[in-house]
Amino acid sequence: MSGLLSLGIRAMFANQAALQAIGQNIANANTPGYSRQQVVLTTPDGQYTGAGFFGKGVDVQTVERSHNAFLTKEAYSAKSTAYMDMTQAEQLSRLEKIFPPGEEGLGYAAGQFLNAMVDVTTRPADPSARQVVLGRASELAARFANAGGQMVDLQAGIVSDLRANVSIVNQLSAQIATANDAVARSNGSGHSPNDLLDQRDRLISQLSQYIQVTTLPAGDGTVGVFIGGGQRLVLGAQAQQLAVSQDPYDGSRATLSITESNGNRALDDSVLNGGSITALLRYQNTDLQDARNYLGQMASAMAIRVNEQQALGLDLSDPAGKGGPIFGIGATRSLPAATNARNPDGSFTSLVSVSVTNASLLQASAYKLRADPSGVPGAYQLTRLSDGLTRSVADGDSVDGFKIDFTSSAPGVGDSFMIEPVAHAAVDMKRVLDKATGIAAASPITASASVNNKGTATVDSLYAVNRALDTAKAPMTISFGALDPGDATRRLYTITMADGSPALSGSWKSGQPIGNEPGAALPVDLGFELKLNGVPQDGDSVTVNATQFPASNNGNAKAFLNIQTDSFVGRRVQADGSIARGATINDAYASAMSEIGSRVQGATYLSGVSTSVASESETLRAGQAGVNIDEEAARLMQYQQGYQASAKVLQVAQTLFDELLRLTGG
Amino acid sequence: MRLSTANTFDASIATLQRRQQSLQTAQQQLTSGKKVTQASDDPTGAARAERALVSIGRADANQRALEASRNGMTLSEAALGDANEMLQQIRETLVAAGNASYSDAERAGLANKVAGLRDQMFAIANRPDGAGGYLFAGQGSDGAPFLDQAGGVAFSGMSGSIQTGNVDSFPLTVDGGQAWEQARSGNGTFATGPLPNAVSGSPPKGWIDAGRVTNPALLTGNPYQVQISGSAPTQTYAITDSVTGSSTSGSYKSGQSIQFEGMAMTISNQPVDGDQFEVLPSTNSLKVFDVLDKVVAELRTTGRGGAEITQSNVSRLRDIDAVMGGLQNIRSQVGERLNNLDGSESRLAALKQYSQAEKSAAEDLDMVQGISDFQNQQTGYDTALKTYAMVQRMSLFQYLNV
Repeated sequence: MSGLLSLGIRAMFANQAALQAIGQNIANANTPGYSRQQVVLTTPDGQYTGAGFFGKGVDVQTVERSHNAFLTKEAYSAKSTAYMDMTQAEQLSRLEKIFPPGEEGLGYAAGQFLNAMVDVTTRPADPSARQVVLGRASELAARFANAGGQMVDLQAGIVSDLRANVSIVNQLSAQIATANDAVARSNGSGHSPNDLLDQRDRLISQLSQYIQVTTLPAGDGTVGVFIGGGQRLVLGAQAQQLAVSQDPYDGSRATLSITESNGNRALDDSVLNGGSITALLRYQNTDLQDARNYLGQMASAMAIRVNEQQALGLDLSDPAGKGGPIFGIGATRSLPAATNARNPDGSFTSLVSVSVTNASLLQASAYKLRADPSGVPGAYQLTRLSDGLTRSVADGDSVDGFKIDFTSSAPGVGDSFMIEPVAHAAVDMKRVLDKATGIAAASPITASASVNNKGTATVDSLYAVNRALDTAKAPMTISFGALDPGDATRRLYTITMADGSPALSGSWKSGQPIGNEPGAALPVDLGFELKLNGVPQDGDSVTVNATQFPASNNGNAKAFLNIQTDSFVGRRVQADGSIARGATINDAYASAMSEIGSRVQGATYLSGVSTSVASESETLRAGQAGVNIDEEAARLMQYQQGYQASAKVLQVAQTLFDELLRLTGG
Repeated sequence: MRLSTANTFDASIATLQRRQQSLQTAQQQLTSGKKVTQASDDPTGAARAERALVSIGRADANQRALEASRNGMTLSEAALGDANEMLQQIRETLVAAGNASYSDAERAGLANKVAGLRDQMFAIANRPDGAGGYLFAGQGSDGAPFLDQAGGVAFSGMSGSIQTGNVDSFPLTVDGGQAWEQARSGNGTFATGPLPNAVSGSPPKGWIDAGRVTNPALLTGNPYQVQISGSAPTQTYAITDSVTGSSTSGSYKSGQSIQFEGMAMTISNQPVDGDQFEVLPSTNSLKVFDVLDKVVAELRTTGRGGAEITQSNVSRLRDIDAVMGGLQNIRSQVGERLNNLDGSESRLAALKQYSQAEKSAAEDLDMVQGISDFQNQQTGYDTALKTYAMVQRMSLFQYLNV
């Protein structure tokens, strides 16, 4: 009797416990990170009697959580990758806004500026046409500066994002350490602290959004949390702090470091994996740098090309003078590492100055300069960061269109420099020419074909192309002679100069300019290019005079028009010394734009993939650990019925007892 | 497999959001009509559109240059037409001046008429192009290209022509020097003229015509002197080559042509002993205003003999024809350029149209495709919402009567 009674009580308790767990599950069905709990029921050993073993009811052994360590790890690792890809795609699409296609783009502004020169060509002295050119020049400079400025803002945004992320990571790791401590203290109870474990798993999962971690469980129930290939972040109840510090070269850039007992240790982005922090660092160090360099390369090449052409022409001042620069750009930078040798007063012992020698050879890259590891004095290594090409250089060498000079003393063995020839060109670009009359539309020389010519040759264009032009040699007479015996499509010519310099001779071919062939078999390097329409005959001559009427001459303005089709951006000196073609300013912009665009496309695609992988992993994890309301409803019924049945057992026991009392009492 | 209720909700919501996003993208594409609004939509397409845009910009700029050239050439053509008309009038006047019954006073009257026309011609030569320049300035001049100077009118500009345009070259000006100052003198091969009588020093009593080429192969290009000796009817002529000094002679008969070295010319009227004429090779140096100034000066000269008047009229008519030919030549060149401009314009229009088509192909949305995509998305979103409402509403609790 008492057996039945106690059996019923135990059954009621067990069912109630199960119902309580179900209630907890239903209550937490929507709690993030909650793992479904269930009571573990066991049957105690039966009681031996002469009639065999009699059951003693049911035991509630413990409450366990439904959890799978592998699926949990998988879920937060996938989440980490998804957050990294998502952050990268977000940042890149911000960068993409700086390279818009069509009429908002830089390429269009450059085209508009050069197209405005057409009207100056048509009306060389027209102040309104010149004013339009100046207006377009400001627009172009403003677009470059604006794009550069936006990149500075993006950089600042990254640093502040990084700081915010790192501070969250530090809070989370401190909380994990606290949770570890609590778990360790309840370790001796023999029951698993389910809600505490859930909380810790959730913290680790949150941490994974920012940086990918690996976890290692310890015997005392705590977990070690590691980042970047084994760097300890949390061990037991101890958490390390991450910190954002300045790049040793460029103070505006951030690096990640971890605080250790013996100081901060820098964490390179290559050892980190996953999470928004890794994405931000990589974006800062690659995509943003690339974009800055593309922009700077275009700004430098364009501004210097235009200014050079401007200097080769005559402006409208009286007397006509050499054209002043139209554009000003940001200076080249060479940044000494913070660790370089210093003088007692704190200044750096050695500095490197960088000057542009040939803007069309500038590459969209930064460079790192350090002493040659072989230890040869005076030898240095210059590494182009865009492709890793390393070259040996010495003081005064020119590489990729810029020249390196050591100021004060030569850098020591441990010194290194970051050289940025173009990165800052765009942000500080502005129009520096203010007077419309300052546009050098006139060529310093004018050519006219002789009236007695028999051929069809007329002057198509004539303008100065480099500083070799010397107007003291004018008038220069180009007299055509017989056909070139070596090539019947060419005609020989002789150039005689007024100052008595020795006559030069060459061989003319249709479409080929006269006056600037320093590399020809018969070198002619007079600093101008004369293009003819039609074909000259034997005895024909063309005279090149100093320009008498700069107000109506448009030779140099025509040279400006050629900038649009000139592939002067990013020429490369190849191994054999020849120069590989560059791109026109518009092509350079189009390719930078499509480069950034395809990176965005790739990142967006990747982000889509990893997000769906993450959501599948989460579905798997949740399938194991999460609450299914229908299931709980069924279980609710199941245990309710069990509870009712147990109560019935009690009632039966009560009835039996009452019957017995009645019998004995009666 | 178990499904976590909360995760099912999350996943469904995420799916709905994705659907909504792509619906919005499709809607944006439809409203803007562009499938590429940023480079990442289609990097190659965006770059292609960018290049096409550059090409359109260049074509537009070149079109402006072409219009400026057309303007200049049309005005020049009109100016040359006007000049030609005036030269015709001057010619008629000069023909009228040959009337033997005219007195010096009447010829002076005609001279005044020619002088008036000459001033109008001068204004034409300095006609502005309406944009601060001059039609005949060539490669530029400091102010008006033609200036009245002590030695006659001179072209002060730079010969040649200003070209504009960034794809093709279009002329903006006409070479004033070539148009007005470089006509071929004489008959194009040689120029005949009177010299003072070797004996008396007075103008010859005969006149020489412009002459003609009889055999181009025999032309030497040397200057000659023709001298008449003796008195009619037994006169002889002697021709001296001023370069080689060699000399030929023959018997002269008034009105009969004299032939030598591939040339033929006629000395008419009654030349007297010692009358001399020169035969010079033609040069590209005949200036319109020099000719007109000479016409005026000669018509105003009083006390000339009949032969001298005739000689002057014959020579000036020859010169006027030559300069008229020169101007006409330039006028036809200008006309040809205007023709070329029309050709260039249609080429430019074709280039621009091609670029526009290229740009459109690269970045514009195919509307049929766009509408079909949009409806597809719409149906998808609609279905997603319906199934969400149906599936997510279901719960076992609805069926339990507890």
